[in-house]
Amino acid sequence: MKDFLKSNSLKIFLSTVFVVIVLSVFTNSIHSNMVSSTLNGITYPLSKVTAAATNDDDRSIDEIRAENEKLKKENAELRNQLVNYYDTLTENARLWKFYDLKKENPQYAMVPATVLRRDSNDEFYSFTLDKGSTSDISVNDPVVSQNGLIGWVSEVDLSTCKVVTLLSPQTSVGAIDNRTHDTGVVSGSAKYCDKNCTTMSKLNADHKVKKGDIITTTGISGLYPKGLIIGEVEDVCYDTYNSSYYAVVRPYDNIKEITELAIITDYTGQGEVLINSKTEKD
Amino acid sequence: MKNVKFFRYLAYILEILLLFVLGTTPSLIPQIFGATPCLLVALALTIAVFESEVPAMIFGLVCGLLSDIGYSNSVGTFAISLTIVCFILGFCANNFITANFYNVLLTTTVVVTSLLSLHFLFSYVMAGYSSAGTYFVNHYISRIVQTIICTAILYFINKFIYSTLSE
Repeated sequence: MKDFLKSNSLKIFLSTVFVVIVLSVFTNSIHSNMVSSTLNGITYPLSKVTAAATNDDDRSIDEIRAENEKLKKENAELRNQLVNYYDTLTENARLWKFYDLKKENPQYAMVPATVLRRDSNDEFYSFTLDKGSTSDISVNDPVVSQNGLIGWVSEVDLSTCKVVTLLSPQTSVGAIDNRTHDTGVVSGSAKYCDKNCTTMSKLNADHKVKKGDIITTTGISGLYPKGLIIGEVEDVCYDTYNSSYYAVVRPYDNIKEITELAIITDYTGQGEVLINSKTEKD
Repeated sequence: MKNVKFFRYLAYILEILLLFVLGTTPSLIPQIFGATPCLLVALALTIAVFESEVPAMIFGLVCGLLSDIGYSNSVGTFAISLTIVCFILGFCANNFITANFYNVLLTTTVVVTSLLSLHFLFSYVMAGYSSAGTYFVNHYISRIVQTIICTAILYFINKFIYSTLSE
């Protein structure tokens, strides 16, 4: 044991632990850092390939075979067309999803993105997208699908960004019932996140929210654009602990499995109220 | 002889990359009871029982860093804890315990349960999430069990690598 206490192994061990602890403090205090950028840079190509390979992986072999046969026939018909036809078609289909949203809101600057990886350690289904600061993404940018709000960007490095979803308690979005104009705060909950639902809390005692109502963002704080769809009310419950009503809201997308998204990098009114409430989410 | 060691470490590195990809690729591993196993944690522990303390610590550090960037883009719980645990495990496996299946299974069961409980404590309880216990029951128990099962499988794979590629 005395030999061990004087050994080089112990010195190397103590030095390594010291370096790791310093790195930990450093990376937790600075959001965009060299360590994560370097590791993400190394793993990005690998993750990109595997993420692309597993899109649509929920189809059965028979379905894939049938599709394969169909595509072979189509391939024969399309052989004479442009070489990059499929690439263009895929990209077009991907962008088309966001066309309606863009058409209704021409002031949005949107960047389409794909889910690069999902972390098995996160219970709130957060994920990493394949776009980073080089694509003008910044922290707090809203992340949307063609059906509405999905989450917000929590961390950014050069080539990737981390998204916290509506299912997380970290999320706090000012929301309004489009029918009754009741307002509340949408935030994730342990009870409902596994069911792909979130909650709209802080409803007034005399609220008129009921099942089927559509919930959208208020846009008051300047962190989310006004009128983004969050989801549909599935139930209205009473919280005996807080003595208040809350609505269970189901987003229109399955957040646990979604792969194609867009990040809104700029819109009219972005950050306008941040001067008064810098640390608060919408 | 040095070549043999090099190829063994290369095999470990390939294993780490493969499991990192398996663990983080969307929808690749189906969730069982709301969770998937922490493959890199299982791998780091099974490498540590066959290697001496310094290589064990380095592989633990790499697995911890990759686990952390997948989760929060910052060096955190897994990097620090796996560095320490793998060093201790490597030292003990060389001096105090025999690296047979039952010993390894017992040791890793204790270590995996402690590590993931610690991760839960830092990430959910200390973060102040309401109903944190719900997450533990719905996800962590399943994750701990699955990780221990993976540890058993990876033990045999790494035992094979070690016995094939050692002098």
